[in-house]
Amino acid sequence: MIPSTHSAGDSFDATRSATLGPRLLAVGGGKGGVGKTFVTANLAAALARAGKRVVVVDVDLEGANLHTCLGVASPQKTLADFVSEREEDLGKLLIDTPLANLKLIAATHGNLADAQPSHLRRVRLLRGLRQLDADFVLLDLGAGAHASVLDYFLVSDDGILVVQPEPTSVENTYSFLRAAFYRRMRLAMVGHGVRQLVTLAMDQRNERGIRSPLDLLREIEATDTAEAHRFVETMRVFRPRLIVNAVRTAEDVKLGFAITSVCKKYFGLDAEYLGYVNYDEEARRSVSLRRPIVDLRSDTDVSIYLQRIARKLLEPSPTQSGIQSGIQSRTQTGAPTAIRAGSATTDRARAGQGTTPPSPGAKPGFSRG
Amino acid sequence: MRGIEELDHYEMLEVPHGATPGEIDRAYRMAQQTYAEGSLALYSIFEKRDASEIRARLDEAYRVLADPELRASYDLEHRLLSAPASVAASWPPNGKNPGPPIAESSTRMNAAVEAATAEAFDEVVEGYDQREDETSGEFDGPRLRRTRLFRGYEIDQIADVTKVAGTHLRNIEDENFADLPADVYVRGFVTAYAKTIGLDPQAVVPSYMARLQDSRQKSQPSRFLGLR
Repeated sequence: MIPSTHSAGDSFDATRSATLGPRLLAVGGGKGGVGKTFVTANLAAALARAGKRVVVVDVDLEGANLHTCLGVASPQKTLADFVSEREEDLGKLLIDTPLANLKLIAATHGNLADAQPSHLRRVRLLRGLRQLDADFVLLDLGAGAHASVLDYFLVSDDGILVVQPEPTSVENTYSFLRAAFYRRMRLAMVGHGVRQLVTLAMDQRNERGIRSPLDLLREIEATDTAEAHRFVETMRVFRPRLIVNAVRTAEDVKLGFAITSVCKKYFGLDAEYLGYVNYDEEARRSVSLRRPIVDLRSDTDVSIYLQRIARKLLEPSPTQSGIQSGIQSRTQTGAPTAIRAGSATTDRARAGQGTTPPSPGAKPGFSRG
Repeated sequence: MRGIEELDHYEMLEVPHGATPGEIDRAYRMAQQTYAEGSLALYSIFEKRDASEIRARLDEAYRVLADPELRASYDLEHRLLSAPASVAASWPPNGKNPGPPIAESSTRMNAAVEAATAEAFDEVVEGYDQREDETSGEFDGPRLRRTRLFRGYEIDQIADVTKVAGTHLRNIEDENFADLPADVYVRGFVTAYAKTIGLDPQAVVPSYMARLQDSRQKSQPSRFLGLR
């Protein structure tokens, strides 16, 4: 994989700072079959039912089936038209769904040759999505950790991971998160040498013995404090959100807490447990009926859980408040709290922060101090 | 971002400095599960030696924090190390509510600590319930189930504690009112259930019983008419 150019980093910042326009949510999670599409379709439907103007986009070009979940027949105009440059206006690809306020940009198995858009095309796509006339744009990501999937995840206001309580899914979630983490960090780094260091760290068996994000940070600290500062600041605003799907037991529910704890201790990331959805045959049936379950049967447990998650999404994005608070804390303390050098500044900052890590929005709920 | 070896005992257990013994217990139990050998959330990311290092540190953190004396001296030592100049300014340590000046009475300080604690680990659980309250103040079966799941209880555990048959408990959650015994029994079951999962029976029972009675009243006339 060739490292992306610096312009990609710029486009990240540009898109993130664009607070007007729709809020962009990406739903991914590495493994196929964990219910990404089901969750996306239902969250979109729930938001639409709450009166928001919602566009769902199937960016899973190789395994597109979002349209099926929403009860839209095989669409004529699809994202493939944009990818292959036959259509420049994303607005023209919008398809009505049976639900009010909910529109779809579908993808179907068109020309397999151009399944993955080029980097430039992705940037165009994301810019176009930001300009859509909607309150929310939800991206249904494909499986795997391809560069394009990671980019959709990273540029979104909220990157949501769907995980099922089973080893394969958890494993893939971590590998996805690891890939996303290093990709984001590499883009945040300015110096060529440091970027190479990040690339090196992506290989788990690298010769420098960098085994974890923390090891990497220490290596960077040793070479360049400014870069280390950037690293920490980037990390602070990188807040993946987590949904545990198909839970059957209390143990399954707690998996969400366990993963956020591990994220904190391994990556140093404040992941947010957004909620869980219980296992129910009814959910499967809704897919066969090609209707979102929140619309089909809004009173079942599954729907209640999904609506609860949707309600959380209606709150201001923690990512955005995170950015603001990141800036604030920088101006206040003059140094990132997380860089440890045994200095007085750090100790004071640590005492001030205590166990409540930079948990900016100070929102109740799942943000686990 | 700091390594495991740089986290203090509180950070290790992910509790605030003012955490109550109950919160510390709960956090430790949760962490034990999360970082148990072969734990689902753990095995594919931490290497074996890192995982056992984490476990050892969790145990040590709990050993100190669960003992009031050890905890007091640890706090003292820790605070001396971290902020010798301005203890008052940085207390409570989570920085959310600036505490009273140190000169004020220690009882008020404790009150501040308690207040800060209340929103700590419990907010994870309580935040959910609050959200539920926003939608309806009613305690129905699904809500009971959600609360139970969320607080980490299995039906069987509740059955063990309350000596109420699991079938009844399931029927309560599923609102299979027809399969439940007479009201007076159900009242007892729901009370026991609520207590076990840490809900206030006074809030839960009237609300749930109202639903039950409502449903039974509705179904009875129809049966009566049906007989005629």
